[in-house]
Amino acid sequence: MRELDAVVVGGGHNGLVTAAYLARAGRRVLVLERRAKVGGILETVEMAPGVRAPGIAHTVGRLRRSVIDDLELLRHGLVLIDSPVRVFAPQPDGSALTLWADASRTAEELRARSRHDGGAYPVFDRKVRSLASFVAYLNAATPPDVKTPKFADLVAGLRTGRAFRDLGTKASREVTRILPMAIADVVDEVFEDPAVRGAIASRAVSCAAMGPLSAGTAATFLSDSAGNDGGAPGQSVIARGGPGGLAEALGSAARSFGAEIRTGAEVARILTRDHRAVGVALTGGEEIHASVIVANADPKRTLTTLVDPVVLGPHLMWRAGNIRAPGVVSKVNLALSALPKFPGGDEERLKGRIVIAPSIDYLERAFDASKYGRISSEPFLEVTIPTLSDPALAPEGRHVMSVIVQYTPFELRDGDWGSERDSVGDLVVGTLEQYAPGFGELVTARQVTTPVDLEREYGLSGGHPLHAEPGLDCWFAWRPLLGHANYRFGIEGLYLCGSGAHPGGGITGAPGANAAREILADLGKGN
Amino acid sequence: MHASIAWARHALPGTGFLVQPPDGRGKVARRYDVVVVGGGHNGLTAAAYLARAGTKVLVLERRHVLGGATVTEEVFPGFRFSVLSYVVSLLRPEIIRELDLPRHGLEILPLDGTITPLDDDHLWRVNDHGKTIREIRRWSKNDAEAAEEYGRLMVDMARFVKPVLSMVPPDPAKLSPREWMPVLSLARSFRDLTQRQQSTFIQLMTMSAADFLEQWFETEPLKATMSASGIIGTFQGVRSPGTAYVLLHHYMGEIDGAFRAWGIPRGGTGAIAYAVASAAQEAGAEIRTEAPVARIEVRGGRATGVTLESGEEIRAGVVLSSLDPNWTFLRLIESGLLDDGFIAEVKRYTYRGSSGKVNLALDGLPELACKPGRGEWLRGAISFSPSIDYMERAYDDAKYGRFSRRPYIDCIIPTLVDPSMAPPGKHVMSCFVQWAPYRLEDGKAWDDDMRNAFGETVMDTLEERFPKIRDLVIHKQVLSPLDIEDMTGLTEGNIFQGELSLEQLFFNRPVPGWARYRTPITDLWLCGSAAHPGGGIMGAPGRMAALEVLKTGRFARRGSRGSA
Repeated sequence: MRELDAVVVGGGHNGLVTAAYLARAGRRVLVLERRAKVGGILETVEMAPGVRAPGIAHTVGRLRRSVIDDLELLRHGLVLIDSPVRVFAPQPDGSALTLWADASRTAEELRARSRHDGGAYPVFDRKVRSLASFVAYLNAATPPDVKTPKFADLVAGLRTGRAFRDLGTKASREVTRILPMAIADVVDEVFEDPAVRGAIASRAVSCAAMGPLSAGTAATFLSDSAGNDGGAPGQSVIARGGPGGLAEALGSAARSFGAEIRTGAEVARILTRDHRAVGVALTGGEEIHASVIVANADPKRTLTTLVDPVVLGPHLMWRAGNIRAPGVVSKVNLALSALPKFPGGDEERLKGRIVIAPSIDYLERAFDASKYGRISSEPFLEVTIPTLSDPALAPEGRHVMSVIVQYTPFELRDGDWGSERDSVGDLVVGTLEQYAPGFGELVTARQVTTPVDLEREYGLSGGHPLHAEPGLDCWFAWRPLLGHANYRFGIEGLYLCGSGAHPGGGITGAPGANAAREILADLGKGN
Repeated sequence: MHASIAWARHALPGTGFLVQPPDGRGKVARRYDVVVVGGGHNGLTAAAYLARAGTKVLVLERRHVLGGATVTEEVFPGFRFSVLSYVVSLLRPEIIRELDLPRHGLEILPLDGTITPLDDDHLWRVNDHGKTIREIRRWSKNDAEAAEEYGRLMVDMARFVKPVLSMVPPDPAKLSPREWMPVLSLARSFRDLTQRQQSTFIQLMTMSAADFLEQWFETEPLKATMSASGIIGTFQGVRSPGTAYVLLHHYMGEIDGAFRAWGIPRGGTGAIAYAVASAAQEAGAEIRTEAPVARIEVRGGRATGVTLESGEEIRAGVVLSSLDPNWTFLRLIESGLLDDGFIAEVKRYTYRGSSGKVNLALDGLPELACKPGRGEWLRGAISFSPSIDYMERAYDDAKYGRFSRRPYIDCIIPTLVDPSMAPPGKHVMSCFVQWAPYRLEDGKAWDDDMRNAFGETVMDTLEERFPKIRDLVIHKQVLSPLDIEDMTGLTEGNIFQGELSLEQLFFNRPVPGWARYRTPITDLWLCGSAAHPGGGIMGAPGRMAALEVLKTGRFARRGSRGSA
């Protein structure tokens, strides 16, 4: 048996992407996953008999196109279901607005609410696409090493400069102005209807411990729009069979290229010798040796629990311990006996993301609670009803609703998550009842995943689904830490490939693909 | 001329010094090389530099008193106040040196320390390092240890960042080597920093003050009081990303060396304006008060002078505006002269005044409940910032259009270091208050009732720490952001002439593409806090704008008059 080239610690979607790319390049790779199945937060769970729901993540529209193509995911069973509707945003007054994939259709409908906004929308959509194209460029790049720039860093820097210049004078000035902004200010400049502002801005704070008034949320917004036709409304693509369908396709692709995947195998330590990674030790004591160790675990967990602190050194240890991962997201799945009735929401309009974020102030107030360790009394919800596009997930006529709930802080100041689980379920049902009267009666089963569950079950530090907070302080050349944004930690052979690495979280496969590129470059040098 | 300097040095601000009221010469146009619109500290600084280079300069100030927000006034008989700005820490040492301000009467009195009163304890930090560390140790051993290291790191950071304050920002959309040279040299010195310093710099630029400090400290009043420097004058909370950077300013003063980091000018902050004015006047600049400018004249895309509200026309080769972009471009320039794109950018530049001021004339010295007596702790700042949550709650109120129910207050009692500000035995107390949003929630306005309610809230908050303070109050001046706007012309009462948010700094200040003090109108320049590096009693925008004007070479052949 050939010696292992690389061990990937954690079989989340980025770990699988990295493994697949390495295997595809002829490397022998082993993926070690603690849980019984791969995919991490990308999974389909049977929440009630015959009812399957997205475990945590529910949309997969940001998956990098080149990953789909390179890994031949469609051949491995991935079916992406797009819908013409991106966002349906019901309002407290019973009205609603819809953001369609087709900007002119959106504009036409917005015009009925506000002539001004209807006119502004297509312009804004184009601007977002233009600015996001530059962010997409950054996302695909390996951030330069600013401390000891190498020739490759200079070339990358020049290329970035050119991409920046290609934006043109106006857009390049705009991008430097907008990136550090608060999304609230970005949408306030353009739209007047609070409902439109809220619906568009909500995506910028998704999974973040930030409110729309926080500086830097414009960057998360543009990053979310980067690539894949995101534009102003963002993506709403789902995978057939639930997110687990994508996890299975990734696993299958990795295996087809020759990668080996072991589940139920928890890594306790990353082994090092002479300041280089040489293998991993499992919790059972078994040691597996390889010259490349790729951590798909979050950076805080990787550095503070898996690596020998002596090797890491006190300074990097201190910095790693300070990586901010304040989880604020809970997940609620609901089994429904019938389709809920949102005023103005026909079946087609409910096929995208249903967003409860009726204004900037609403979002900001929801965020406020989390600053004081409280659960929002009026939460921001992002809802999908996957059974509308994929009826096989539930018995005929039944539906599944997947709800991402913000803000529910990992650290509660009063009470603990043991007793608050039910209250989050009640909160979601109660909130939706206000927007879809009679909603509560449709709920036949529910499943609540709290931030503490996210940490315990999925190994996410602080219960943060993005591995590290996506603020400006953990971005590009300093994600997760300045000097280590190139997927390396100064310990030879140790790499990071998860959402804690550039370009960050979400179901994109991007950090995994970027890390694989860097690892293969290093391996190529060695041969 | 010397007589006038001597007079200037002893003149009391606000008593008519330098007043040249409208002279009734009507429409007879007069000509200067440069007219500076606005006699705030930046306008005066620009004028001083230009005059020293031999240009014929005229400064026009709307009010009867110079200084803008850097102003001392006798608000109540016998009681003089630094009405708005109240301390100085960032005044550029090169300005003090180059304009020889001490000779023009500037004397900065040290303001030692900051006390944070709490329910039954306090945190008192002073300039004496050992004493401060002992005090912090009383709260947390870890924090005392961290404070040493933190202080060293921040001094290093301040040293690295300092050149930015005297750098003319390049236009990111242009690759002009000349413009980018200073930035490249900064990039080189960035490369030479240690990784820890580099990463600290990135954190300072991007993090919230609270998040940044939480990496180091656990003591609530310590974190809250330190973080307060990050939010002064901004519409941000201590948890808002981007507020950490201002923590550095405290240390910048420290490395300047010329003066103590933190102090009050003898005679109030207006004394700075008058010292600069005296330097400008000595170099030949003319300064006129009560001369409000109605219009900046533009012909053929070129600024040609100004017209006063009196109808008087003054011609000039160059017009420098120390006013904010709202005033300069939307009110003083005839509409239609600037292109719509530029106007749109000027309109979206945000101000969002967020602070109020309460000035008290006191019959005696107030005492803190948590630390009774009249000791040295009252000679520094008294900071109402017991915890990060307190600070953040105060901000939360403002976000939704209300003044803080329990505001952050930064108090000083200037009479303890400068007794001349009040009659013997009496005191003045300056209370800088946040947050007081300019724009209030639906249907509310800053009318008399609102101002009174705001004043009462401030008094209630003060009373919690100074139990008998109400009995001592002889007079009270309450300034809402609207009052600040009315008084100084600062749009929305923003003390920095526009928010110091990341998107409005450096090459974006005030408008992307126009950060180099120039404007789309030839010969019209900006020299106020709305230009890089922004607000505070720094003088840097005024100095740099003047130097940029001089760099164009159009006044090159004039002899220098001021340096003799």
